[in-house]
Amino acid sequence: MSSTNTGEAIAPTQKTIIITRFDPDKDEVPRKQEYSVPCEDNWKVLDAVNFIKDELDATVSHRWSCRMAVCGSCGMMVNGEPKLTCKTSLKEYGDRVDIEPLANFPIVRDLVVELDGFMHKFEAVKPWIKRAKEKAEDKAALHDTKLTFSQSAEELGNFKQFSMCINCMLCYSACPVVANEPDFLGPAAIALGHRYNMDSRDEGNAERNEIFRGEGTVFSCSFANECSEVCPKNVDPAAAVNQAKFEAVIDWAKGLVLPSPSSGGSN
Amino acid sequence: MKTLLLKLEPLIWFMFGQGILIGTILLTGWILVVGVLMPLGIVDPANLDYTRAHELATASLFGVIPLGQLILAALLVLPLWKGAHHIRSLLVDFGGGERDGIVGGLLYLVAIVGSGMGIAAVVGL
Repeated sequence: MSSTNTGEAIAPTQKTIIITRFDPDKDEVPRKQEYSVPCEDNWKVLDAVNFIKDELDATVSHRWSCRMAVCGSCGMMVNGEPKLTCKTSLKEYGDRVDIEPLANFPIVRDLVVELDGFMHKFEAVKPWIKRAKEKAEDKAALHDTKLTFSQSAEELGNFKQFSMCINCMLCYSACPVVANEPDFLGPAAIALGHRYNMDSRDEGNAERNEIFRGEGTVFSCSFANECSEVCPKNVDPAAAVNQAKFEAVIDWAKGLVLPSPSSGGSN
Repeated sequence: MKTLLLKLEPLIWFMFGQGILIGTILLTGWILVVGVLMPLGIVDPANLDYTRAHELATASLFGVIPLGQLILAALLVLPLWKGAHHIRSLLVDFGGGERDGIVGGLLYLVAIVGSGMGIAAVVGL
């Protein structure tokens, strides 16, 4: 039982938590199941789901881990909106709280969704530092940490915001383009690719911008801005997508007037 | 059509982006002046009589660069591309993705025709 600042105990509030259930071996379509849960005043939505799993129905499946908005695994639809459930206070909602798996993803079981497609999209943007070719200083940096690709605070500031993504996938659930085009590269993957494009150590811009000019990538974004609205870490993926569009346009215009640069080595 | 649009996407988005800039800043100012300030008597309508407007539209920089005509052409052309691209995106968001190629093509065709008419009108000043 939680308490006030003066130590006075607050009685739990009884809420009806509605969980989407789906067992691929038994169910053809997802169904709803209601649970009456005594919710403490300071509970997050995840606490209620954990209570159901621990005390009422051990067959409920859901993902969670850190409980402090770092791991990004407990994203669910709460009353129709994508939320990180460990960060969302249950007090924000009324007596009935509808919890569903993240929209726009295939359901594996109950509140657990399929991640493979999402992971493939991440791989597609080559989210690692690419060097055009191995340089003498790269080799030297392996043996002398003082030489290791130093960056100024300003250079770090160019991409730091976009590197704060925790891969919670809320932006994919909120994105109207993902809903219509499941193959759309999507906000988080584009933000991640753009993060490396903005990194002063990276030299893979041309390669990523070519990917960004392809079908179902940055220009498919209709700038609904929903991704940034739901992002629990204020990454602002919509800004990353728009910046990536601008970079892709500049790269495209350069390609019209300049000879294409040699791509060099493949790292 | 979809493949052609994909190839031209950077150019289309560039025109769209410039259209947003023009649409949100200059056209908003224009509507404020002629739609609000002038009817309220805050701005004298004589400031925009034909002779003065024509002088502004045909003003040149250093007698060489037709600055007035360029600005006027941008005001006429770029918002058309903004509108076309916005409507296309809206239709895709509302589930029209399958017909995006043909619908997008038609919308941009309207923008091309409108741009041509606008440029012709400005050049003829």
